[in-house]
Amino acid sequence: MKTYLFLLLFFPFGGGLILAVIGRYLPRRVAEWIACASVLGSLLMAIRAFGAAGHKRYLLTLFDWIQVGDFSASMTVYYDALAAIMALMVTFVSSLIHLYSVSFMRDDRDYVRYFCYMNLFVFSMLVITLADNLVFLYLGWEGVGFCSYILIGFWYSDVVNATAGRKAFILTRIGDVAFGIAIALFFLILDQFSIFSINSKAASLSAGTATVLGLLLFWGAVGKSAQLPLIVWLPDAMAGPTPVSALIHAATMVTAGAYLLMRLFPVIALSSITMVTIATVAAFTGLFAALAALGQKDIKRILAYSTISQVSYMFLGVGAGDVTGSMYHLLSHAFFKALLFLGAGCVIQALHEEHDIFKMGNLRKRLPVIFWLYLVGSVSLAAIPPFGGFFSKDRILLSTFSHPEPIYKFLGLIAEIGALITVLYTFRMFFVAFLEKPFLQEDFKKKDLKIPRFMVWINSPLAVLAIFAGALNFPEAFGGKAWLAHYLAPVPGGLPLFPASASLERSMEIGSGISNIGLLIVAYFLYRPESKFLGWRTPVAFRQALEDLLFSGFYLDRLYQIAFVRPYQVLAKILWLNVDEGAVDDRFDATANVFRFFSFGLQLWTTGRLSTYLKMLLLGFTAILSALALGWYYLR
Amino acid sequence: MIVPYGNVLLLAIILFLLGAVCSIARRNLLMILIGVEIMLNAAGLAFVGASLKWQLLDGQAFVLFIFAAAASEVAIGLALIVYSQRRTGSVNADHYNRMKG
Repeated sequence: MKTYLFLLLFFPFGGGLILAVIGRYLPRRVAEWIACASVLGSLLMAIRAFGAAGHKRYLLTLFDWIQVGDFSASMTVYYDALAAIMALMVTFVSSLIHLYSVSFMRDDRDYVRYFCYMNLFVFSMLVITLADNLVFLYLGWEGVGFCSYILIGFWYSDVVNATAGRKAFILTRIGDVAFGIAIALFFLILDQFSIFSINSKAASLSAGTATVLGLLLFWGAVGKSAQLPLIVWLPDAMAGPTPVSALIHAATMVTAGAYLLMRLFPVIALSSITMVTIATVAAFTGLFAALAALGQKDIKRILAYSTISQVSYMFLGVGAGDVTGSMYHLLSHAFFKALLFLGAGCVIQALHEEHDIFKMGNLRKRLPVIFWLYLVGSVSLAAIPPFGGFFSKDRILLSTFSHPEPIYKFLGLIAEIGALITVLYTFRMFFVAFLEKPFLQEDFKKKDLKIPRFMVWINSPLAVLAIFAGALNFPEAFGGKAWLAHYLAPVPGGLPLFPASASLERSMEIGSGISNIGLLIVAYFLYRPESKFLGWRTPVAFRQALEDLLFSGFYLDRLYQIAFVRPYQVLAKILWLNVDEGAVDDRFDATANVFRFFSFGLQLWTTGRLSTYLKMLLLGFTAILSALALGWYYLR
Repeated sequence: MIVPYGNVLLLAIILFLLGAVCSIARRNLLMILIGVEIMLNAAGLAFVGASLKWQLLDGQAFVLFIFAAAASEVAIGLALIVYSQRRTGSVNADHYNRMKG
């Protein structure tokens, strides 16, 4: 077991290391094979570990890492049901995306750098997945942050991309600080870094401490997962290559925040304030991002906002005390969102780097395979029964509604509205981009839409999973087996805190299934005929204002610009011109001038000629030694 | 000890002065380096003589350290000279006057 877990972690690390050190000297094919093989090996190990573990949990120390006095941080992994599922998902999705990347990056000369960071990312993500020690986890946490930063700015010669990378890095750092404080507090209060021990001792925490810890952890997760106050980096993160967006900014890294909360659920669950905060932020983020997605034109930005919105459902699941539902949505989201991103990558490459959905169109005939794959992803995202996303999202909504506190009813309602808007924006994107165009758009008919067939077909496993993810946890209310729920039952919080009755579950699922399908039909009539959204009978100015509002993501960027960036810049300018240059530098210059005044004449000695210096050196030494010798002789 | 210690010291002083004059008077970087080497060896000679006079091994141990220091100095010094020669096309010490104050 230890071997499996060790190899699971260190295959991608080794791959990254090899590529970093000698990747440049290897032939292209070899470098690509190393990158893919290391991740595939990792997948194999994840499967073996999953098979070998059964229902057992493992707490294994791979290495001792830091050992100073009481403080000890070792590379310890805690392999339980949650980590097993997550590791399977991460390795599976990253294997497919690595293979896809081979095709996607076929014309890029920097493929070594790309694959090296991708492998390192997979390693860091697996560290987050498996780590038991919070310091070890933090290593992975920062590792994914770094890889995300470097891969967003992968095409760094374009300033916009580099800026997007920096923005993501800084904003996620704001969250990471809180996570760092939480880790320190855990050590201070419990003398522990181990998630396993923290979870078993969680009950001994006082309510106030638990609330503080829970909120700090949540704030850390908010940064990583781009939830409400720290939302703005994710849409810009789409500047990176599309497979990166699929892997890091959809399937794995952004869900790490939710995963962290699931891992430490016993601590979170202690405080109802934390739970309500999580659920509230999540519900509003879901609605917010769904509305913003409705106004985007760039296909990747739509998907980015939809990722924010979907991740918020995972947070809502945690906030409602349903870790299984949350994990379930994490899984199905990983499959359909990776599928959508990879599909979008195919479309973008086929259309020669065109991102605007309103310039696409008629792709049903031009790219038939991608059309079907994308359709599968879209219906799953829109939660149309019986596809994967439907059951997972509904389970979370159900848990929210069955929470006894009244505020959860309201939050559930908001989340439900967000879910309905999801259908709208998903099919707005799908209809506009893929069906024959009703608007006057530039025609791609004459252009050559060729992409490698491998790049298209590699998506099919994801499509299969997106279709059948529902079967993973088919609700018992409909005569299913709920396999995932049974598997995750031993995990803390794996059983929902407030289980819903079967009849409520049945009526809820039928209700939301029908409403989602209904909205799908509405979306068809909204976006298919020649009428833009809200096109009828609304004044143009109002429509324009609304479009701008949604397009800019509710002006959140501009707000931060005014509230944080500008004051910072003004302050920095004052510090620079008045304090650093004005006060400090001038004083130093004045001091230096005093010295210069007194040393007048001495500077003539510095001729710059080595021989002069050597002579002076010898003279000086002779003088000093003579003085010492004389002193020694006479004063002895 | 057959040779009186005073003679050894005298030889060491002569060698040291030769080295010092060599490194001061010459302008060629290589010759300066050689002068420094000679000075180091003069010091080593004085150490060996002292070690023999007082029958202590410390002096000889010091010589080993001096050898090590001299060897590394030569290695780095020669590399720097080669590099400087490539950069400026000259090994004349007075051509390196960019540090002039």
